Amino acid sequence: MRSRDGDYSFTRSISSIIFLLLYSSAIFADEYIISYRYSVKNATLYNETLYISKAMKKCTGKPYDTLILDPQKSENLKEILLANQDEFIEFLYKIGLSVKHREETLNGVNDSSTILTLPSKCFKVDFNDNSVKIAPLK
Amino acid sequence: MKYSLVLAALLSVASFAADKKEDATVTQVAPAPSNVTPSNVTVVCPTGSCSKPAEVQKVEVINPVEISKPIEIAKPKVEEKPVPKKEDVLDVQHDLLISVVGQGVAPVNTSSPAQAYALAKRAAVADAYRLIAEKVKGVRIDGQDLIKNMMVKRSTVRTSVQAMVRNANIVETTFKEGLCEVEMEITLSRAQFPQ
Repeated sequence: MRSRDGDYSFTRSISSIIFLLLYSSAIFADEYIISYRYSVKNATLYNETLYISKAMKKCTGKPYDTLILDPQKSENLKEILLANQDEFIEFLYKIGLSVKHREETLNGVNDSSTILTLPSKCFKVDFNDNSVKIAPLK
Repeated sequence: MKYSLVLAALLSVASFAADKKEDATVTQVAPAPSNVTPSNVTVVCPTGSCSKPAEVQKVEVINPVEISKPIEIAKPKVEEKPVPKKEDVLDVQHDLLISVVGQGVAPVNTSSPAQAYALAKRAAVADAYRLIAEKVKGVRIDGQDLIKNMMVKRSTVRTSVQAMVRNANIVETTFKEGLCEVEMEITLSRAQFPQ
């Protein structure tokens, strides 16, 4: 027959393992500030920049939309985002971009420029073994 | 023989008397058209036979078929103004779907067709975003003309758009001969615009 002490330690170890498994994603979650900007001049892409930085202060808000990407054996978020650029940029379109357009016609000659900007936004990023979850905070 | 002569004389007198009577009652009856019942019957009394002096009595019979027909009153012609087409308006009950097609071209110096496609698509998306912003928020337009000695020296038109566009979806992308076209849609609902 087992003693009481043995049962207690066994139960505690099992529950701690389950807890770790359940909340493992929360342990490796990070917060990043991401901004994106690209400009188009006369219907041709002129410049494109993606800024990524780890948040120095804890962000407030709740994640409201999630994108799951393939990490492709990397732990650097910028590399992961560049590898899955199309998916990430389509995700940004959904979140919303600021549009600034300027057009000038001088003596019948047209000149235009459009700038699309994602203002600096805090994202919660969860690194897992086979996937990376990215969600903006609101 | 005598009886036959007397009978013939009586018959002739009787026929004469009958002729006289017919002349006194109806002298003329208006012929009715074949397809329509007679509407006007004119009775003329011969002079002397009627109690009143010669006068024309008109009896008008209105065709019952004509009564049942609606009476058409000629209205003065009023010029009909063209009714403007009812435009789609954002309503409490109905959402509004805005669809645009943006165009973009690839830069000249690209390393591969894939890169050209990707860059042209970016430009087309930016154009589509601009079109959505123009439709939803509007365009600011400034114009300036410089005229000297009755001649236009410089003509400038400046337009600008500034907006934040969320939840726009790419519906279709086509790339043909260096030109990329992106069809984008956005659904607007009244709840998105707090009052």
